[in-house]
Amino acid sequence: MVDFAGWHMPIQYTSIVSEHNLVRERVGIFDVSHMGQIFVSGKEASDFLSYVTTWDMNRLSKGDCRYCHILNENGQIIDDTIVYTFSSENFMLVPNASMVTKIFEWLNSNSADFDVLIENKSDEFFCFAVQGPDAPRLLRQFFNLAITPFKLVKSGNMIISGTGYTGEKGYEIMGPLSEGLEIWQSFLDMGAIPIGLGARDTLRLEKGYLLSGTDFDGNQTTLESGYSWVIDWNHDFIGKDKLLVQKEKGYKLLKGILLEERGVLRSGLPVYYDEKEISKLTSGSLSPILKRGIGLSYVDLPVGTTVNIMIRNKQLKGRVIQTPFL
Amino acid sequence: MSEIPENLSYTEDHEWVGPDENGGMKVGITDYAQDSLSDVVFVELPNVGDSYQQGEVMAVAESVKAASDIYAPITGKILAINEKLEESPELVNESPYGSGWMVIMEPSEEISSLIDAEAYKNSLD
Repeated sequence: MVDFAGWHMPIQYTSIVSEHNLVRERVGIFDVSHMGQIFVSGKEASDFLSYVTTWDMNRLSKGDCRYCHILNENGQIIDDTIVYTFSSENFMLVPNASMVTKIFEWLNSNSADFDVLIENKSDEFFCFAVQGPDAPRLLRQFFNLAITPFKLVKSGNMIISGTGYTGEKGYEIMGPLSEGLEIWQSFLDMGAIPIGLGARDTLRLEKGYLLSGTDFDGNQTTLESGYSWVIDWNHDFIGKDKLLVQKEKGYKLLKGILLEERGVLRSGLPVYYDEKEISKLTSGSLSPILKRGIGLSYVDLPVGTTVNIMIRNKQLKGRVIQTPFL
Repeated sequence: MSEIPENLSYTEDHEWVGPDENGGMKVGITDYAQDSLSDVVFVELPNVGDSYQQGEVMAVAESVKAASDIYAPITGKILAINEKLEESPELVNESPYGSGWMVIMEPSEEISSLIDAEAYKNSLD
């Protein structure tokens, strides 16, 4: 068990590698109740959220989920989030655990010109992610539902969305804390295997998904993170001016690093090119599927470039690649 | 409950040492150590011919989550390494006292300060 943003969470229930493989091959369940739930409602909720995120919420319809970034005035990512659309005046944001308070304050401090109500209900919800090829069967069995990716359905007092952090078919289920234990147990009974933080990290890294606080820590922009597709340039939002400038000037881009020799990559390891240290890995691990060291780093090098990663005073050969790794 | 064979010697750093049938001392990590590490996905072994002082880092075992140093349990020269671990590091988990052995060392001085199975077991309690 480890402390994770103030939450007591298991790194693994059995083993990271076996949990990882179970999600890729069957179905796992993650207790991600540490994720936040911030509700934004009111006549100008859509305009407000469009202003404080990279996406134009007026393009969303009831039942849509949208992944986007929340930026500061410099265009740097404060956090990434999914926006849930319940109606044209009712939305929910799901920020990362360590950023809930900061995002709640940030939203409030930028809401003066908008007719909105912002409520932090993060302590009232459980959130479980059911992920893997077998996830649709479990959802059908339990809720009699089928949900397509990035859509949401309200069923009783549960919010269920076709979202996740593994790259597999899957759902995230949120509901009142008091009902969490029963839902958890029901999904275990149907065959879902509990998955810890360790496999959550390797699963997302194989797909090149960003980890808040690790792959961005307040100093990188959405352009640099390689997620320019979350920007709708046809609307005004905090940080847009700076992104436009950066777009013209050029920038380092977060790329995948695939180790070409045996070894495990780790966050913080230095990346060398032309005998000079050019960056550090933001994330690193071993892909249990590829059985290769994989990592992410902000580099100004084209895909295919050979770099060296310094591990324990040895330089190992790696290649810059476009994520996902898998 | 971790397995601790009676016929081997141990260090408090969770390594085992036992005579190899072809001479020299075979070295590996204990069942307790492999279980604590969980899935071993990479083992970095020393070069044959290298010499190590007792307590020096001679190898590294990496799980998905962390890297752990393996210390030379005795002073001496590396006679052989378990090359199978390059392809199959999981042998360390599957058979820590068998096919998951790490190196064979030639002691260059009298072996001292190893503990027996009983003492190692007590050190785990």
